[in-house]
Amino acid sequence: MIEVEQLRKQYGELTAVDGVSFTARPGEIFGLLGPNGAGKTTTIGCISGLLQPTAGRVRVMGHDVVRDGTAARQALGVVPQEIALYEDLSAVENLKYWGGAQGLRNPLLGERIRQVLELTGLEDRGADQVKRFSGGMKRRLNFACGIVHQPQVLLLDEPTVGVDPQSRVRLLELVRAQARAGACVLYTTHYMEEAETLCDRLAIVDRGKVIAAGTLAELRSMLEQRDLLRLSGVFQPAAAREAVAPINHIEVLQAEENLMVLSLAEASRKLPAIFAALEAAGADVRGTTLTQPSLESLFIKLTGKELRE
Amino acid sequence: MRFIWISAIKDLRRARRDPFGFATWLGIPLLLGVMLTMVFGGNGAPLPKGRLLIADEDHSFASGVLAVAFAREPLDKMLVVERVNRREGRERIDRGEASAFLVIPKGLQQAFLRNQPFRLQLFTNPSQRISPQIVEETLSIMVEGGFYVQRAAAAELRTVDAGQSAAIGAVYRRIMSLRKGLDPPLIDLETQTIQEKKQPKSIAAIFFPTMLFMSIWMIASAQAADIWKERALGALRRVAVTPARLSAFLAGRLVFVALVFGGVTLAGIAVARWLGGVPVANLPVSAAWATLSGTAFYLLMLLLTMQASSQYAAHVLVNLVAFPMALVGGCFFPFDIMPGWMADIGRLTPNGWAVGQFASMVSGPLDARGLATALAALVGVSGPAFLLALRRLRRSFAI
Repeated sequence: MIEVEQLRKQYGELTAVDGVSFTARPGEIFGLLGPNGAGKTTTIGCISGLLQPTAGRVRVMGHDVVRDGTAARQALGVVPQEIALYEDLSAVENLKYWGGAQGLRNPLLGERIRQVLELTGLEDRGADQVKRFSGGMKRRLNFACGIVHQPQVLLLDEPTVGVDPQSRVRLLELVRAQARAGACVLYTTHYMEEAETLCDRLAIVDRGKVIAAGTLAELRSMLEQRDLLRLSGVFQPAAAREAVAPINHIEVLQAEENLMVLSLAEASRKLPAIFAALEAAGADVRGTTLTQPSLESLFIKLTGKELRE
Repeated sequence: MRFIWISAIKDLRRARRDPFGFATWLGIPLLLGVMLTMVFGGNGAPLPKGRLLIADEDHSFASGVLAVAFAREPLDKMLVVERVNRREGRERIDRGEASAFLVIPKGLQQAFLRNQPFRLQLFTNPSQRISPQIVEETLSIMVEGGFYVQRAAAAELRTVDAGQSAAIGAVYRRIMSLRKGLDPPLIDLETQTIQEKKQPKSIAAIFFPTMLFMSIWMIASAQAADIWKERALGALRRVAVTPARLSAFLAGRLVFVALVFGGVTLAGIAVARWLGGVPVANLPVSAAWATLSGTAFYLLMLLLTMQASSQYAAHVLVNLVAFPMALVGGCFFPFDIMPGWMADIGRLTPNGWAVGQFASMVSGPLDARGLATALAALVGVSGPAFLLALRRLRRSFAI
C-alpha cells in the first residue's frame, strides 16, 4: 500500500509537487496521469525515497520513507523512466546485480531470474549482452530488473515511452499480472489510452496538483456524458464565443484564432446550428473532430489545454 | 557488506568485456618505457661524464696539486671536479649525485714533507662503474708517486713552495724511473664503496616507476570518468532506491579498482624485472604501495570529476588537472631527468610524492618508520576523499 498525504516538493521558488494526496491499495493499478512536467516523476522520487519531501508524508507498506527508508525500500520495486541497465553486461548479469542489490541470494535469485526472463519473453537471450537488444527488449529487461525480487509495491515511471506497439502490449500485460499477483502498482503516464485501459483508479495531475481523482467511471461522470468538439480554421475568438453561446448547453473550453474547443451533449445533432452561427460571425471552419467523453476531454475541461501539450 | 562484492564483481565483468581498454592503459607506458630505454641505451650503461667531489681540508700546496691533477688532460674529458666540504660531499655521494668523493684531511702536506703515514678517503658510487674506477686508479698512481718523491727528494721538498710546482714534476719523473726496490708507500689510500641506497641503476630502472605510475594514473582517470556513464545510464538512481547502500556501491568500486591496480602493478613489475632487467626490492610492499596509491588517486579524481556540471565538463576538468600533475609529478618523465626546480615542485604533488616513495621502495632498503608515515598519509587522504565522494553521491550526483 502507498499512502501519500499532502506531499509537497519545492526546488527553491519552484513548487514541483503541491499538496498531493492519494492512497494506492494492494492488487490495484493506480495511475498518475498528467502532461510532461506535471510532477509525476517528482512524486515517484519522493515515494521511492530518492527525493526528500519538503512537506507531507509518504508511507510504503506502513513504513515512512523518510524515517524508515530501508524498510520502505525493501518493499519497493522501481522501474525507472530511463533504461537503467549495464549494456556491456548480459541480461542474466544485470538481473543478478539488481537482484543482489535488493538482497536476493542464490538459489532463490537464480530461480527468480529464470522466472522473470520467462515472463518477459527473454529466456533465450539471457546470456546476450544488453547492447545487442532492441529497444523493446531493453524495456522488458528494465521491467524484469524492477520485479526480480517480487516487490509488494511497484512504481512504474512511464515505462512505455518509446516502445513499439507489440512490446507495449506485452509490458502492459506484465503490469496487470503484477497487480493480479497482489502487488500495489503505481503507474505514471501521459498516454491517456494507457491510463484508460490499465488503471483501476486514477489521479490526474497538473502543475504539481491533483485536479481530479477516482475510478475511470467516476472521472467520466464529471463530464456529464458531454462530447468534445474541436474545430480548426480561422476565428475571431470573441465574436465566435458570442455566436455559439445561445446554443443550448454548450460550453466553450477554448477559443483562439485558429482553434475552438466546445463541450456539449449530443454534438452531432447540433453541428448544423454551430456551423451556421460561426459562419455568421465571420469564421471559416476547415476541420472538425468530434470526441466521445474520455480522460483527455476531462483533462481539457479541467485545464483548458491538451494532455500532450 | 555483501553488496560491496556484488558491485566489485559487476565492475570486473564490465572490465572483462573491454580488455582492449586495459591493454591500452598498460601497453602505452610499457611501449614508451621500452622505447626510451632503447634510445638512452639501458642495461646499466654509465652516464657519459663522471663527477668527482673533493673536500680539501688541508688547503695546502700538496693537497692543491692532488686536486688539480683531476682537472687536467685527459681526466678533464672524463670527470667534472667540484670542490665541496666534507658534509655536503657525503650527502651528495649518498644520494648518488656523484661518481666519487675524495676527502683530503688536514695534515697531508705536513705528513708528506716529514715522511709520515697519512690516509686519504675515497667514497665511490656503486651504481657507476667506469668513472669511480678512473678516480681510484688515478689516485693510486698519485699516492704512489708522492711516496717516491718523499723517498728520493725529502730534503729538497722541505724548501719547495707553491711557485715551484714544475720542480716537483721533474723530481716525480726522476723518482718514477727508480721505483723498483723501494719500500711500499707510507701515504695510504682508503677506498670505501658507500652502501647502495635508492639510486636507480639504469635507464630502465629510472623509467620503471614513472611508466608504472603513468599506467596507474591513466586507469584512475578513466575509472573516475566511468561514474558519469553510470549516472547517464540511471544506474546510480536505481541503486539509490534499493535497500543497498551507496557507501557499499562506492566501496565496491574501490575494491574493483584496487584489484585492477594490483594486477597492473604485478604485470609492470614482472615486465620490468624479466624484460628490463630492473631489480625490484621489497616486492610485496612496493606492489601494495602502488595499489593503494592508485586507489587514492582514483578517489581524488572521482571527487574532482563529480564536481563538474556535465560529463563533458568532467572530462575537460580532469584533463586540465590530471595532465599537468602527471607531467610534473613524475608520471610522464622521471624526476632524475627533470630540471631540479621542476622535480622539486613535482615531488610536492600527490602523484609525485607517491612515485618518489615507490622509487625508494623498489631500489633500496625499507625504512619501516618512513613507510608507516607514508601509509598514514595515504589513509589520511583517502578516508576523507571517500567520505566527501559519498556525500556528493548521496546529496546530488546519484539522484
